[in-house]
Amino acid sequence: MEENNIILTIKSLSKYFGALKAVDEVSFEVKRGEILGLIGPNGAGKTTITNVVTGTYPKTSGSVIFEDTDISNLKPYQIARKGLTRTFQVVKPLIGMTVEENVLVGSLYGRDKRNTDMKNASKRAREIIKLVGLESKKDSLVSDITLPDLKKMEFARVLAMEPEVLFLDEVMAGLNPAEVEEASILVKRVRREKELTIVYIEHIMKAVMGISDRIVVLHHGRKIVEGTPQEVVNNSAVIEAYLGKRYAKEVNNEG
Amino acid sequence: MFNNKKVNIFLIIVGIIIFIFLPRFVSGYWVRVITTIFMYAVISQGINLMSGYMGYLPFGNAMFFGVGAYITAIGMGKGLSFLAVLPLAALTAILVSILFGLPVLRLRGHYFAIATIGMSGALLSVVQNATEITGGAMGTTLPIIDKSPEVTYNYFYLAMLALMVITTLTIYLIIKSKFGFGIRSIKANEEAANSMGINTTYHKVIAWAISALFTSIAGALYAYWMSFIGPEEVFDVMIAVNTIVIMLIGGAGSILGPIIGAFVISLLSEVVWSTFLEYHLAVLGITIIIIVFFVPKGITGAIADFVKKRELRLRKKVSV
Repeated sequence: MEENNIILTIKSLSKYFGALKAVDEVSFEVKRGEILGLIGPNGAGKTTITNVVTGTYPKTSGSVIFEDTDISNLKPYQIARKGLTRTFQVVKPLIGMTVEENVLVGSLYGRDKRNTDMKNASKRAREIIKLVGLESKKDSLVSDITLPDLKKMEFARVLAMEPEVLFLDEVMAGLNPAEVEEASILVKRVRREKELTIVYIEHIMKAVMGISDRIVVLHHGRKIVEGTPQEVVNNSAVIEAYLGKRYAKEVNNEG
Repeated sequence: MFNNKKVNIFLIIVGIIIFIFLPRFVSGYWVRVITTIFMYAVISQGINLMSGYMGYLPFGNAMFFGVGAYITAIGMGKGLSFLAVLPLAALTAILVSILFGLPVLRLRGHYFAIATIGMSGALLSVVQNATEITGGAMGTTLPIIDKSPEVTYNYFYLAMLALMVITTLTIYLIIKSKFGFGIRSIKANEEAANSMGINTTYHKVIAWAISALFTSIAGALYAYWMSFIGPEEVFDVMIAVNTIVIMLIGGAGSILGPIIGAFVISLLSEVVWSTFLEYHLAVLGITIIIIVFFVPKGITGAIADFVKKRELRLRKKVSV
């Protein structure tokens, strides 16, 4: 890909909680149209980066450049309307509303100004629900559907906002292997159809390998490696972060 | 579905027509009771918008009632006509709601509720002490309409009915709009709403301004109707408490809930009052506890559940 194809630049971004450096001087770029895996063990700072980039937490220092503008001082709703949206690690459905209403809210307040009209927005919501395969559940209350369906609903809800960049925060958590497989296929298919850029956050290495074009590995709030899935999986620093020093040595000796 | 909607609109229009002509068939006492019911329904509707739909319980909402009443009293005392003073009263209440709302609507849950009580108390204290403008703790009088009491009471009955209908219709249209989905999302999950492109602060402030608008008009009408108001009476926190109970009994987050609740509570109160003169509040309180226990979603919620269950049963029968 060419150099000018960068859609999102994260530049020496830091987030401290008191003395804890949850994210420490992290920099990486996201190319237009790719799936970038953001991985690391629990507590590496993956969700904190997501929260800072999407405006939920204020940054400590650094900058986030999205399509030539610094968005690191904007509020979550402003960032979302610009076309950078997210899903949540723990699903946050709008309780008391149906699946269709949840998705409708996404399309009403999304990037596409035509959808401020109720009719257009409803049409859009139904299309997206069909795209993720939730048609049979569209009139169910979100409190009545299963976790895999909730995750699909949340995915549909952010898609309805017509984003350019989508942060998927551990969408696979809590799903069984068959459901993980189904979800991966869905994410890949939707990415192709909508020409989305996806930052895919996951702590299970296996889930992220098959889906990502490139991977950024975090550990203790710092970026330790960046590269293709193959490069990352063979990197001793990554193995060390996940499995400890002794195991990393053994692998290196064998290799 | 379409048919159902037509039937509903027809029933509502019939209801309004019945209420317009009702004063001809009942005593003056009942005209006044029903006027109060309309008034409570309006205030409760304002709380319903904030709490039933948006999840922010405005315990101090009586302050807008008080502001509406006092601006009307002061304005008419200076010789302005009621219709000239009404927009001033509404505008003042909206300004107060925005001024207080910008900082206070950042608080969530109980903290917001408590902060609004504080604001209501602060306003009461200002009105009590600014004696030269407000008449102080003694209260103040308004010009009396130069007609027979019966005509006057009918006039306020119709005005309050119109206010109730307009309030309910406006809130209904708001809830069905994009803005309505925005405030319902805030109740459902404010963090998710924010990350979905909803400017939550803006939505909360505007919703409270709308709530203040209708509550203050109710206060303005009340002041003109009573022709005498005291600060403790119109800034009474119990006005909010009563209308919160009305909303809960009728059904929070339901458009007809406050109206149904206002009728049920007020008529219940009338019956209880006439049979248990001494223990009237105790009996009423216990009745409310019992209702909340057995009908937690309010009357409209219980009806909706009943209809849903029956539909499910019918569907099962068909599939068998």
